[in-house]
Amino acid sequence: MSTTRHHINRQRRRQARETRPGAPAERPDDGRDDRTGGTAVLTSPADADAPPSSARGPRPKPTPPPAEAEEAKAARARRRRPPALAVLCALTLLLGAFAGWAHAKAGALRDEPARSNTALTDLARTSEIKGQAAKAVDRLFSYDHADPGALDKAARDLLTGKAEAQHRDLLADVRARADRQKAVITTTVTESAVERIDGDRARVLVYADQSSVATTGGKAGEGKAAAGDEGVYAAAMLAVEVVHRDGRWLVSALDTFGR
Amino acid sequence: MKRAARVRTALRLRPLPALALAVTLVAGGFAAWAGQDWYGAAHDEEAGYAAQRDAALTAGEQAVQNLNTLDHRELKTGLDLWESSTTGDLHEQLAAGRQEFSDQVKEARTVSTARVLSGAVTELDDRAGRARVLVALRVTVKAADGATSDKDSRMLGELTRTDGTWKLSALGQAPVGGNPAG
Repeated sequence: MSTTRHHINRQRRRQARETRPGAPAERPDDGRDDRTGGTAVLTSPADADAPPSSARGPRPKPTPPPAEAEEAKAARARRRRPPALAVLCALTLLLGAFAGWAHAKAGALRDEPARSNTALTDLARTSEIKGQAAKAVDRLFSYDHADPGALDKAARDLLTGKAEAQHRDLLADVRARADRQKAVITTTVTESAVERIDGDRARVLVYADQSSVATTGGKAGEGKAAAGDEGVYAAAMLAVEVVHRDGRWLVSALDTFGR
Repeated sequence: MKRAARVRTALRLRPLPALALAVTLVAGGFAAWAGQDWYGAAHDEEAGYAAQRDAALTAGEQAVQNLNTLDHRELKTGLDLWESSTTGDLHEQLAAGRQEFSDQVKEARTVSTARVLSGAVTELDDRAGRARVLVALRVTVKAADGATSDKDSRMLGELTRTDGTWKLSALGQAPVGGNPAG
């Protein structure tokens, strides 16, 4: 920018010199005027140093001599400006690059699967999920032939999505058998652990004991569910996927590991 | 008058450097923020805990799988792996019963292969270096006559961190109906 202004000023000065009457440019043809040409050469630097008022476009008022010195200082400052600007630009680039890099690093760290999983790191949420999943499994896998509505209600309350169909399929046989034997099946979760919590979704591994008490002694041959009045325990393990909805954790999928 | 002149000079001199300075300052602000963000992410205590949780689980699942896998044709390798996966009491038990056990397996000529179905950490004491895990396991046993059978196991494991690595220090099956299962 400063160079352009210098350039413009110089052009203006040159124009002013050329339009002046009796400009030195017309003389070279005349060989005798060599000496006067010499004086003209002597005067010309003065012309350059003090350009005509028309060349001082930017300044509306005539400037007193001290301002002249100030302008020289400013001109020097202007000449010094490009390095400072370059330094600022370089600094900006460096800082910007560092900011971008650090941001990417931080993002990559946060995206690590270990961090997105808040099982155990968020203890309150972990125990809340554990408790609700255990209660849900207790209710969803217990059945009393005398009160079949309880299981349907549990299914309505606790299940969502594909877990509804999975639960219906899993329990269909159990229900039919229990009705036949007039049995009471009680499921109790003995151990559970949260595998992962990812926002409002979680997966819980559950170990449960199922006891079955048949109130009619007949048909004793029908597997483990029928054992007279004495309770028989069956070991069960399953993974439950839960989803947070309206302040509660609902079961969204059941994984019985292919059994 | 003098002040006005100075203001004018300032206005004429400053716009570009001022703009550059402002941009640099903004960039500096971003850099400081991002750097602090990065530092925070790298030194997050919760993240360290999460990493330990995952390390314990991975080691636990692997160790439980190792201890339920044994090929009578490669007894030495298998039992060495058992011992290297364990520490403490469990390690001593395995070492003490090694000869007897290996004789049994040689005679039975069985090949056991375990597969982890699912696993989760129930407790983790990062400072003490102790953890408890649940590992749902499916063990396939191939008998000498070629017949195979699957058995699901509900394993409960305890891990102890020794020299920075998690090893199994106790292993058992979850009791059924209040009684320990076989």
